[in-house]
Amino acid sequence: MEILDQGNGEIFSKITPDEFRRHMFAKAERVNLDKRMDLREAIGRFIKNGDYLSIGGCGFVRLPIAFVHEVLRRQLTFRMAAGTRTFDVDLLLDNDRITELDIGYILGLEMLGIPQYTRIHVSERLSRGDLKITEWSNGSMAWRHKAAAMGVSFMQVRSLAGSDTFRHSAAKKVKCPFTGEEVILVPALYCDACVIHVHRADKYGNCQIDGMLNEDLEKARSAKNLIITTEKIIDTKEIRNDGARTVIPQFYVDAVVEIPCGAYPTNMPGLYYLDLDHLKVYTRAAQDRTGENLKKYYRDYVFGTKDFNEYLEKCGGLKRIEELKKIELMEGRV
Amino acid sequence: MEKKQYNPIELMACIASRYLEDGRLIFAGTGIPMLAVSLAQKIYAPNLILVYEAGGISPEASMLPLSVADSRTTYRAICCANMPEAMEMLQKGLVTYAFLGGAQIDMYGNLNSTMIGKDYWHPQTRLPGSGGANELGSLAWKTLIIMNHNRRRFVEKVDFITTPGYLTGPGARERACLPPGNGPHLVFTELGIFDFEEKSKRMRLKSLLPGITREKVIAETGFELIISDKLNQEKEPTPEELKALREDVDPWRVVLSRGDNDQ
Repeated sequence: MEILDQGNGEIFSKITPDEFRRHMFAKAERVNLDKRMDLREAIGRFIKNGDYLSIGGCGFVRLPIAFVHEVLRRQLTFRMAAGTRTFDVDLLLDNDRITELDIGYILGLEMLGIPQYTRIHVSERLSRGDLKITEWSNGSMAWRHKAAAMGVSFMQVRSLAGSDTFRHSAAKKVKCPFTGEEVILVPALYCDACVIHVHRADKYGNCQIDGMLNEDLEKARSAKNLIITTEKIIDTKEIRNDGARTVIPQFYVDAVVEIPCGAYPTNMPGLYYLDLDHLKVYTRAAQDRTGENLKKYYRDYVFGTKDFNEYLEKCGGLKRIEELKKIELMEGRV
Repeated sequence: MEKKQYNPIELMACIASRYLEDGRLIFAGTGIPMLAVSLAQKIYAPNLILVYEAGGISPEASMLPLSVADSRTTYRAICCANMPEAMEMLQKGLVTYAFLGGAQIDMYGNLNSTMIGKDYWHPQTRLPGSGGANELGSLAWKTLIIMNHNRRRFVEKVDFITTPGYLTGPGARERACLPPGNGPHLVFTELGIFDFEEKSKRMRLKSLLPGITREKVIAETGFELIISDKLNQEKEPTPEELKALREDVDPWRVVLSRGDNDQ
């Protein structure tokens, strides 16, 4: 296929479809294995420093914040996929936990305001070359995950064309071998590891999710290693009673970690609404351009707590979760 | 000067809500676009089908979502879909309107939400990037844009084309291999409403907001504007619009309060 034009962005994940096939063949031997473990063991066994990582959820829904806190405590560093990331990736960027980033959306907290410090800090790291980025869009990132979930090498998309987003992406423009029309191709995005927070899973890793699915089904199917954190572990009988609800079947899953409220302070549809008060505490700290208020935030809420439970307690514990549940179930009439 | 009864964000949301044709599929970004669409659904266009990029399709109007992904985007929705499906709806031509904001815009409606500065690798300020904007602006039939109006935002050349408008003029989108027949439709600001002249694809002042002169609009615009021969005058926000906006759409004033300092 003749290449007519191409972006100058770097491709950060070099995993090929055949390498992924071999990995999945070996992984398929782990069916019907009890995969329950704690977060520390799951990270220790299935995620390496320097991995290319994707994480589930989107915007302010189902972000695996318990996992993100553990990454901050352990000071692990990743290359990452970042379609529609908000609070989760901002926490990682504040703390220099990312070296290479495929960007759909970062550094915004949507309606909550602008994280000034994080933006300045990232601009400085980009200027110094400490952080490398390639531009994409939410759609093209979702389609890159989808192509990998299909087990193929690339996907044709009809966006990106004509923009500087294309210029700084790693997309290519080619002549369609069937119609002769010019089309844009994006490379499949296979990841070393993925972490997704779900509503319910059984011990083998069959997962159910309520509400919108973002691109989590595609992410789950295109990562070599997949850690599921779940609000609740349920019996396999419940899974079998309604197989249509299983959105991620067990053979993709490597570890099942039960973490109630593991998405706090983001939103778990049907269980708890996002904690606007806590997110405002963070946003206000991130608006201080000196970074001093953010340092205090991290001391108070992450590095000064021994684990996620202590963080939850500090934020009001089960009483606060009950309030957020009421907000959620009153369909958001707050 | 007499204190106005509304702030600039309330003004823009009320005016923009009048311009949506009912019964169409629409994508809206977070912030002011979502305010305008929610208000339109309450007063002028109850059958608009709102699609959120994370997968929420046509929720029953409740409170304003704080994100394109929070459970208010799926409250009593007709479908909880996913990002690929939502984006593929755009790609297949189902979606009439995309409603976007941006940091900078030029005369062809090209939008920047990626970075401010002359050197991409040494940004003065790094911004969030495309998000879904590139798909919305590339693939919806009519792109609606809403943003504050000043010379820093309405510029001769945007620092980065995150989302294509008409690029360099007539035919440029098609030459770049974007789908034919779509592009920027209207721009809403606190000063006026703008469309794009058919022949040149350049931005044209179509209507002035209450109390604004054409001289003011020209002074706040960093490129040469075309002025419509039939320049309209928009009506003030109505009490009904303001009441619905403040009491039903955003009672916490999460977005509305951002305009309070400019009142």
